[in-house]
Amino acid sequence: MKEYSLDISVTPPKEYESYFVPVPKEFLEDAYRSDDFVVFTGPQHGGSGHMRLIIRVKGDFIVEVIPDPGYVHRSMEKLAENRLYIQNIPLFERPSIIDFGNYNLGYVRAIEDALDIEVPERARYLRTILAELGRIGTHLYDAGILAVFLGHTTGFMWPFALREYIVEIFTRITGTRITGSFVVPGGVRRDVDEKTLDMIKRMLNALEFRIKKFERVFIRNPTTIARLKGVGTLTKEEAVDYGVVGPFLRACGVEYDVRVVEPYEAYDEIDWDVVIGEDGDGYTRFLVRVEEVGQSINMIRQLVDNLPEGDVLSDSIISFNRKDIRGSFFEAYADIVLPEGEYTTLTEAARGTLLYSVISDGESTVPYRVRIVTPGWMYLKGFMEACKGHRLADLQAIYGSFGYFPPEADR
Amino acid sequence: MAEASLIFILLERILSIFTDELINIPLINPAVEMLLKIPFLNVIVAFILWKPIFHVLILPGLIGMTLVLLFIIYFERKITARVQWRVGPKEVSRRTGGVIQALADGMRYLFQEVIVHRDANAFYFLQFPLISFLPVLLPLLFIPAGGTYGIRTIYTIPAALALISLIPVFIVAMGWASNSKFAYIGSVREAFMYFAYEIPFLLAVVAMIVLYQTSDPFEIVAKQWIPGAVMNPVAFLVFFITVLIATSRLPFDIPEADQEVAFGPYVEYSGIIFGLVMMLPYEKLYLLSMISVILFFGGWNGPEIAILGDLAPVIYLYIKTIVFMCVVSLARSIYARYRLDQSLRLGWGVVFSMSMIALIISVGWMAWLRL
Amino acid sequence: MVKVVKSPKDGLIRSAAGHLRAITEVAKVVVSPGTITVHYPRERRKYPENFRGMIMFDMDECISCFRCAHICPANAIQMYPDAEGRYFPGIDYAKCIFCHFCVDSCPTAALKQSKIHDVAYRDVDSMNVSPEQMNTIPEIVREDSVTVEYDFEKDIQLVRKKEFENLLVEVEKPERPEFKAVPQYGENCIGCRLCMFSCPVNAIKSKLEETKVILETDYERCTGCGICVRICPTEVLILTPIEREGDHQ
Repeated sequence: MKEYSLDISVTPPKEYESYFVPVPKEFLEDAYRSDDFVVFTGPQHGGSGHMRLIIRVKGDFIVEVIPDPGYVHRSMEKLAENRLYIQNIPLFERPSIIDFGNYNLGYVRAIEDALDIEVPERARYLRTILAELGRIGTHLYDAGILAVFLGHTTGFMWPFALREYIVEIFTRITGTRITGSFVVPGGVRRDVDEKTLDMIKRMLNALEFRIKKFERVFIRNPTTIARLKGVGTLTKEEAVDYGVVGPFLRACGVEYDVRVVEPYEAYDEIDWDVVIGEDGDGYTRFLVRVEEVGQSINMIRQLVDNLPEGDVLSDSIISFNRKDIRGSFFEAYADIVLPEGEYTTLTEAARGTLLYSVISDGESTVPYRVRIVTPGWMYLKGFMEACKGHRLADLQAIYGSFGYFPPEADR
Repeated sequence: MAEASLIFILLERILSIFTDELINIPLINPAVEMLLKIPFLNVIVAFILWKPIFHVLILPGLIGMTLVLLFIIYFERKITARVQWRVGPKEVSRRTGGVIQALADGMRYLFQEVIVHRDANAFYFLQFPLISFLPVLLPLLFIPAGGTYGIRTIYTIPAALALISLIPVFIVAMGWASNSKFAYIGSVREAFMYFAYEIPFLLAVVAMIVLYQTSDPFEIVAKQWIPGAVMNPVAFLVFFITVLIATSRLPFDIPEADQEVAFGPYVEYSGIIFGLVMMLPYEKLYLLSMISVILFFGGWNGPEIAILGDLAPVIYLYIKTIVFMCVVSLARSIYARYRLDQSLRLGWGVVFSMSMIALIISVGWMAWLRL
Repeated sequence: MVKVVKSPKDGLIRSAAGHLRAITEVAKVVVSPGTITVHYPRERRKYPENFRGMIMFDMDECISCFRCAHICPANAIQMYPDAEGRYFPGIDYAKCIFCHFCVDSCPTAALKQSKIHDVAYRDVDSMNVSPEQMNTIPEIVREDSVTVEYDFEKDIQLVRKKEFENLLVEVEKPERPEFKAVPQYGENCIGCRLCMFSCPVNAIKSKLEETKVILETDYERCTGCGICVRICPTEVLILTPIEREGDHQ
């Protein structure tokens, strides 16, 4: 197709200056001059999440996507510097919705590293159960968001109903629906009784039963496959270059999983597979996460079956009643002071590698600095690059296939 | 006295025009006869019960359509909720299970401010939603309902389809008048979708017209001793898919994809005007369902009910139309949305070739019947 | 150890089969829906005993130890003095995040969880609840007569029971020994007597012997709140677990 260009002096509308657009004026002028279309999507848009996407399209094809994140920035790292070590636990689980297990685990492990706390076997298993339940919940949530981005309302409602199963279990274990604050240095806050453990196993059966229905209606639906297959492809090299993490990196064929590379908690004591894909397109990214749900179900079954008896709190934390922290929480945790130094942990959260770096000055009860690198932020670049060259309608499909979650990225 | 008698004669003359083609319903006949004896009121009663007016205004016309729209929106929400493990609208009038939910939503729209934004072409912006009722109500004049009809010609089906296919023009015009980026993209999509479905759609209808060898619905319905959908299932399938595209239902909800272009051409509308434009695809669905019932499901055929007289076929058509709409509305809970190019490819590829096959089947039937 | 997922191949028959599967599945659900809705104001979801709802407060049990106020991550707890100079916690529900660190910190179970999770306040100011108000249960308009509990067998089951659920939870005292403030390192004492003034129950007495202040704890009165321990600048007082008589078997 031959292109014709007219050399006409074009000025973008004045409104752009008052919109506080984070792109240079030259970009807009250039877009106007070369007859491209600049579409502002979000933050008040059905398909953008808490983020603005500035999309430059040529015809129906995306030339460039410029993200404008930060609408849900809560300055979590700065807030953490004014709180006791233990008070940061409820804070750090806020970026994720249901994945509190993994988010607490990373931070708590950094503290345990610093203080050399040995965690009891039973507590390690319980923490792993929480982390994997959170992973299932997050993947279901992302599947729902993907479905609604594709316009599939049943595919949106069903995972959210299935997520309620996970929430029910969380309520039984922690007493609250999604913000558990349950993982504490040295173990977990209280023991889980046999009735709940039995219910977890029955819940997993019920979950599998309905996931099969979900698979027929949404996952293997021809319209879903048509929308996602071959869309937003990242090659192995590109994915590594752009720093994509987690299931999205594995979907491109890279066998990297923190749970295997640096096993923590009970991951090296159970039998499970790392799920990878080959194509690196939107559908593979989705399928990898679907398969990971299956793996997590398998893992939780093994963990519940092999759950060792014993205490759930370390004896260096509490010297009596190591089954329940109630009544002694303050004595155990209020005066934690980490030795001087920097303590870093890597955790495989549901959406990818999560890094916590706690820096202590060795004398105060608050951290000197806490650095959190959330997976959402890491794969933002890959998401932007994957959009290039695809149609405008594919933007939401790629968005959903990445499961991008602005609150997590903005922290 | 001369003037009075003149008016009286005039009224008599008008009344006689109406009473010539009065709808015959034995159930209410005594009441009608009583009312017709009252001067002045008899003209109004006769006017309402005059077949064309009854057809366009009451059933299956304006009032019938409004009831269908209120019901189908409620039904769609309820059936979608049932599929999605939810309950659906319930709290507005709990005793009836929330039947008047759509009416409540309409009331809300009525009291909401209609915002005309600065960049819009205010005149056309407000005008198009209102005059888009023209291509919705005019086809009703042509589509007969057994006992009642508006205009009776042998070109009924082509005329109705020609008027229905004006609706996308109005939608594109609304998008243009909105003068917004998403409305612009949505209008372009609507125009593309129009190209995607129109030809297979017309070919499917032509296939049925070839099968019946007439486009007069009275003859079409009379000839359907087995339903058209059984005689030419391929044509029905093509018609069904193109109805989905034409009324922008999922999986072809492309022009008004709310996650992509935020309701496309309708993005800038608010208040009751938004309510009107959102009705447009449903109204189109109503008309197309009615045509599909006439073409494929034996129209107003059904056992006669003496007490309802002329009304019985109307009610048969009406109920069949509602059932067809209910089936269409189930598609929403099954499918995700196709992309624009995919649905164009589908329209020009699979659906178009299927419509050609339908045409061949029709010609085959015709040849076999002639032999 | 590695599982590779592959996306299905394209094909008209595959695609038609996929359409058919989706349609039949939806048709099946239309016939027998798997609704999991709990009709909330008329039914009440049954929550476990450890549900973290509104926090109830028992003033008689409170030892005014300030632990809840200190541990609160959201700074939602304020200590209000009463006429006798003792302090009791009041929670600002506008700030509370229901982490129940305070409940877990309370050594005497004066603060305890409840299953109340649906309280409406008139304005933000009234969300700041005083200790006296925390004693009383908020007035709840309850329309529910049925409780619903999620249970799982092969599929999820909503167990509906016609019962009026008690939202308050009976909480036992936490299993922990009794602590008392013991003036263990008396030689460090600088005689500031901050411990004496800060004690909410006047359990600490001081004697002047020549130039030295001798501290003495009245163990009958001491509640083991630890305020004196935290306030002492030279760590004279230590919280020590006391084995009660009868604990030995």
